[in-house]
Amino acid sequence: MNENKIRVTVLLFGACREAAGMSEIECLLDSPATAAGAWAEIKSRYPALERFERSALIAINEEHARIDQPLKDRDTLAIFPPVSGGQI
Amino acid sequence: MEDIFEITREPIDKTGLEQRLLTGSAGAIVTFDGVVRNQTRARPVVTLQYEAYEPMAVKEMRRIGIEIRERWPDVERIGIIHRFGELKVSESSVVIVVTSPHRRVAFEACHYAIDRLKQTVPIWKKEVFEDGEEWVEETESIR
Repeated sequence: MNENKIRVTVLLFGACREAAGMSEIECLLDSPATAAGAWAEIKSRYPALERFERSALIAINEEHARIDQPLKDRDTLAIFPPVSGGQI
Repeated sequence: MEDIFEITREPIDKTGLEQRLLTGSAGAIVTFDGVVRNQTRARPVVTLQYEAYEPMAVKEMRRIGIEIRERWPDVERIGIIHRFGELKVSESSVVIVVTSPHRRVAFEACHYAIDRLKQTVPIWKKEVFEDGEEWVEETESIR
C-alpha cells in the first residue's frame, strides 16, 4: 500500500445507511486525512448522502468526534443522523 | 454487584433488572420505562424499528453512569438496558433504574439519564406506519 494513503472503515447507520444502501465502506484517503475528507469521498460515491450534509454526526473509533478531526490508518469512522429524540 | 449497561434484541426484564440492582442500603428505586406509542402526529404506528451502533452505545451508557456519579455521589446503582430490533406497541424500548438511600437523588439521576441517553447514545428509530415508514430525525445537533 502507498505510504501516503490511509485505509479507513466507514460505518453508516439509520437513515444514512438506507440512503447509501450500504452499512460499511472501505475508504482509501490521502494522508494527512480528516473525517471531512472521508465524508467528501463517501458523498461523491453515494450522492444520496448529500442531504445529511448539515445534520450528520460522526464518531471516530466509537467516540463522538468533530468533522475536522484527523483520521489515522485503520480508524473506524461512523456517520449517522442525530440520535433518536422523543419529546420530553 | 455493579452497574448494568446492556443492549439487547430480547424483551427487557424490568423487574429482573430492578432485582439485580437492589442493595439493602437502598431506600428508593426509580425506574423509567420508555414504551412504544401507538401513534405519531395522529398516524397509527404498527411497529418501531430500532437500530444501534452496539459497542458505542454501551460505551456511551457507561459514560452516562460516570456523569451521574459525579453529580449525585449518593447514587447506589445504575442500570440501563436498551432494546433494538423490531418492537410492537406498548413494548419497552429502554429501561433505566437508579437506586439511592433516599428518593430525591434517584428521581433526579434517572431523569438525567434518559435525557442524556437521547442526546448521546447512538440508537435510531424508524416508525413503521400502516402506509409507509419514516426515520425519526432530530434537528438538534450535538456536534
